[in-house]
Amino acid sequence: MPIMHEGLAREFEFVSSPGERKHISEAIDDTAPIMQEMAYELIVGNNTEVDRLTQEALADGFTANQLLDDGLLNGMAIVGVKFRDNLIFVPEVLVAARAMKAGMVHIEPILSASGAKPAGTIIMGTVKGDLHDIGKNLCIMMLRGAGFIVHDIGVDSSPDDFIDAAEEHDAEVVGMSALLTTTMPNMGRTIAAFEDMGLRDEVRIMVGGAPVTQDFADEMGADAYGDNAVDAVDKAKELVLLLAELKSS
Amino acid sequence: MSPVVEKMTSRERVMAALAGEPVDRPPVCTPTNVATVELMDLVDAPFPDANRDGEMNARLAATAYTELGFDTIAPYFSIIQESSALGCDMQWEQKDNWPTVRMSNPIWKGSSDVKIPAGFLEHPDAKAITDSISILKKEFGDDVAVVGKTMGPWTLAYHVFGVEPFLLGTVDDPAETMKSLEALKEITILYGQAQIDAGADVLTIPDHATGDLVSGEYYKRFLMEMHQEIEEELSVPLILHICGATVDRMPYIAETGMAAFHFDSKNDPVEAMAAVNGKIRLVGNINNPTTLYARGPEEVRAEVSAALDAGVQLIAPECAIPLKTKLENLLEIPAAIEDWVAERGLN
Repeated sequence: MPIMHEGLAREFEFVSSPGERKHISEAIDDTAPIMQEMAYELIVGNNTEVDRLTQEALADGFTANQLLDDGLLNGMAIVGVKFRDNLIFVPEVLVAARAMKAGMVHIEPILSASGAKPAGTIIMGTVKGDLHDIGKNLCIMMLRGAGFIVHDIGVDSSPDDFIDAAEEHDAEVVGMSALLTTTMPNMGRTIAAFEDMGLRDEVRIMVGGAPVTQDFADEMGADAYGDNAVDAVDKAKELVLLLAELKSS
Repeated sequence: MSPVVEKMTSRERVMAALAGEPVDRPPVCTPTNVATVELMDLVDAPFPDANRDGEMNARLAATAYTELGFDTIAPYFSIIQESSALGCDMQWEQKDNWPTVRMSNPIWKGSSDVKIPAGFLEHPDAKAITDSISILKKEFGDDVAVVGKTMGPWTLAYHVFGVEPFLLGTVDDPAETMKSLEALKEITILYGQAQIDAGADVLTIPDHATGDLVSGEYYKRFLMEMHQEIEEELSVPLILHICGATVDRMPYIAETGMAAFHFDSKNDPVEAMAAVNGKIRLVGNINNPTTLYARGPEEVRAEVSAALDAGVQLIAPECAIPLKTKLENLLEIPAAIEDWVAERGLN
């Protein structure tokens, strides 16, 4: 069945790559009308409606996982594509994220209580000397939505902060963010600190942030570069699998 | 550029290039800054003190000319002097890190809160820069262009309101955003004029409406006219600085009347030149984190040549450089310009 919600169908037209169209339409097709409405209201940043629809759907007997997968994450998938393709920018992503949070307030406690196995454990922080956190926070929201346990160590995080948190929480992935070209080298210093401590093989490290590129990530010795929050989730999933393979081999 | 132009001083070269007049060779500039830990050690002027003491500041700033051979001296190293004077929560950091504003603790909520404190220009962190400009002008004024810097309203808004609340406000209440920007613009003009009075030849206006955060249409909607007004108010040549991908807004930036736009390595110099269509000069765009920080002189030279081949009029690192950038890479910029000019028989 095609996407029934008119607004969501319009938003779906912004997805141009055939592969992504197939992937996203398969996820949205056959979802309940209230889920499609929730996805649409999230995309346009209507947090009041997402809050209302989430409560209504839970009262109607939908599960927290259905709300997350069929409603909120389907909306965020389209937001992610539009952001990557420069059709929307950070303000529009922030209002969508605010709408997602309005839904997550009701969903998260149910998911936490369910005892489902997490997708992995991740440490996320902005590097030393950098106090920007919007990108990091968007990634954290998406990672949690995708089932990861995320420990946010905040901004201005030293190499020791990352190492201590990774050891304390037995993390599989460490994610570093930077918004300034002046602080980006601290990503390399943090990676070097993991090496110096003999912990480099214990974790996989991914980096991201507006000025960060794949070239820079390679230069610093990172295992992955996340171009945006949606990409960060994909990369985190790959890194968890990679680490498991490395440890079992 | 014309082969008949007589040898110029650095100051003459920069002022001519900014005016779109012939030069003996393209100038090498620092619209933001080129302070490094090595240079701090050399003249005993470390961060954070060099940001807060006029005399120390001048000593470090002068190294752009005396040690690196740049054609400009830019004493305002960071982007936080006004914000400190406004009362923002500051993190001054140490020698090897940039001072910064703790934007998670914003001081204001909306336009009605925007008040310029009495004695703003006399606040030590505002005065350090005007004092430094006076010193530099006296010592180098005939030879080198002294480049001041005054933050644009958009950047000030990040600092005083916090990045996330400010950006959310642009969607929730654009009219209120405009009011805030109008009020903050007065700080831009006030501090810019103070630096002109102290002797600045040129002012950089950093206003980070970057493509990494907002659209080109946002620039047009919220800032283009405001930048035109700032240009009308301040009498020296202005260099607008915006990091990140900006080609989509360059046609609007080209309409501001500013002398030049300082652009980032995320933008291809050929595309950038086409986007501004001769209406504004370009300054840039040598990559900082990869090329200047992590690679060597050969890569620096290649980027300088690419920018010059594209027609970029003033060569500069794309933004404030990482503090541990190697001096040999910075020294390569003026050397590469000289060679590029010589190879073409232009001097």
